[in-house]
Amino acid sequence: MISLPLSDEVIKSLSRHELNILKYVYEHTEEILDVSIQEFSSQVSYSSATVLRFCRKLGYSGFAEFKYALRAAKRESSGGREHSPGEGRPRSADMMIDLLSSNIQATANLIQEEQLLQTFRLFDSSAPIYIWAPGGITDTAGEYLEKLLFSVGRQGVYRIESSRLFSHLMNTVPKDSAVVLISTSGTFDTSIRLGKLAQMNGIPVFSITPYTSNEIADLSAVSFRFFTDQRENLGAEYTSRLPIFFIIHTIIQCYLKYKEQTGLSREGGSHDSSV
Amino acid sequence: MIPLFERARQLNLTQTEQEILNYFEQNPSSAAYMSLQELSRVLYTSNATIVRFCQKLGLGGYNDFKYQLRRELKESGREVLQFDDYIRRSIALFQDNIVSIDLQTAERIAALLTSKRPLYIYGGNLSSLPAKYLQMVLNSLDYPSILVEWDRLLTALINTVSDDAVLFILSAHGNDRYLPVFRKAKARNLTTILITCDPDSPLIPYSTISICTNDQNREYRHTDVNSRIGFFTVIQILIELAAQGRTGGTP
Repeated sequence: MISLPLSDEVIKSLSRHELNILKYVYEHTEEILDVSIQEFSSQVSYSSATVLRFCRKLGYSGFAEFKYALRAAKRESSGGREHSPGEGRPRSADMMIDLLSSNIQATANLIQEEQLLQTFRLFDSSAPIYIWAPGGITDTAGEYLEKLLFSVGRQGVYRIESSRLFSHLMNTVPKDSAVVLISTSGTFDTSIRLGKLAQMNGIPVFSITPYTSNEIADLSAVSFRFFTDQRENLGAEYTSRLPIFFIIHTIIQCYLKYKEQTGLSREGGSHDSSV
Repeated sequence: MIPLFERARQLNLTQTEQEILNYFEQNPSSAAYMSLQELSRVLYTSNATIVRFCQKLGLGGYNDFKYQLRRELKESGREVLQFDDYIRRSIALFQDNIVSIDLQTAERIAALLTSKRPLYIYGGNLSSLPAKYLQMVLNSLDYPSILVEWDRLLTALINTVSDDAVLFILSAHGNDRYLPVFRKAKARNLTTILITCDPDSPLIPYSTISICTNDQNREYRHTDVNSRIGFFTVIQILIELAAQGRTGGTP
């Protein structure tokens, strides 16, 4: 058995479930060194989102880094004999890829059928959809959604780049419109303000925001969440948007599937109008 | 007929519960996917009433009811959408794509992107989005580049760029449309990087380095709906490698 250098504070912050995971880790260290986050989460029977949150609480960026820490702790306890030289560089690349895929995996696990269906009902309706483009790299995600919606034949999608125009629209557009807010941090003031404005006017908000608790998600009718690591280079941020692209990709691909099937067996569509 | 509804009919139902049952019978497939809140709004009733109705049927609650309903719908031969399956499949495809990417090739490309040589990034139509994403993030990392979104401009550029230029070209279909560009680039001995998802693309032999993803070129009513998630994945990996070079390790 090995143990990680964890402070009391960290241990105290763990929930009962997370303590169970930690206990499992201590008891089965050998077995988990080579498993993926998916395999591990099925072993402990918690979702990979829970596992990832657990790793973060311990101060690691994700499951991959957690495993490396375990491996390092194990090496120490066995006198460093397992260390093989020259492995440093590819390891960090492997770790990066592990991290990418565990973020995507955990993000995908958060996608609920209900959310998808509510989103599809919006797509099937003729309600105008306003996509807020907050500026910067996140705009690409908004544009991606816009272009894919056009490609699947959804009309009435408007991407708005000016916050003043957006505020104006929130006060004037018909109540059956919908708003899409995509935020990489979940804390951008302008996006929060616009979300509140939409909510005040009774316009439903569909959002894509990080898994951490944030105001935009709280005010949304449908909120998709994702896992990513916030990063910046001297003030210029370059946080990975891959999980956001993945959510949009999944929504659109599922929508195509849904259209194929409901196109065959539509039941009058009476439920649309009443929602 | 659905056995669950048959069973409900046998019970002694209140008027509201009768209305709930009627709604389910009229819209079985959509009810199987509605949330409790939505349903109570549609039926003008409270969540508790619906849950009680489900419990009267001997079920644990509304989710249990939906689960049963879906199972019985499936048994009665109706198509039921299985999004979970589909999401799992799309994760599997995502992982296959990652596994198929050769890290050494990716590192070579990342080195070119961060080499301070003039860099041109091209993507047309839907491929313009991954191209734009790469360009913006490289900017954040202090590696300036030029984004080209028009193919005519690309055709013109190929004659005028300097000899040490690096061209990064995204083309899902990898078709002959760009063949003159690639021929010319090869003739001029320019460095070209091609990202495509067609393993038989005629452009591959003309490119200096190429990566093939597992995106599927599909159309919906004659419109391209290939969402190119594999392209985004490759680009994210290149970004990570470029960022590592910058910060001297993972952040």
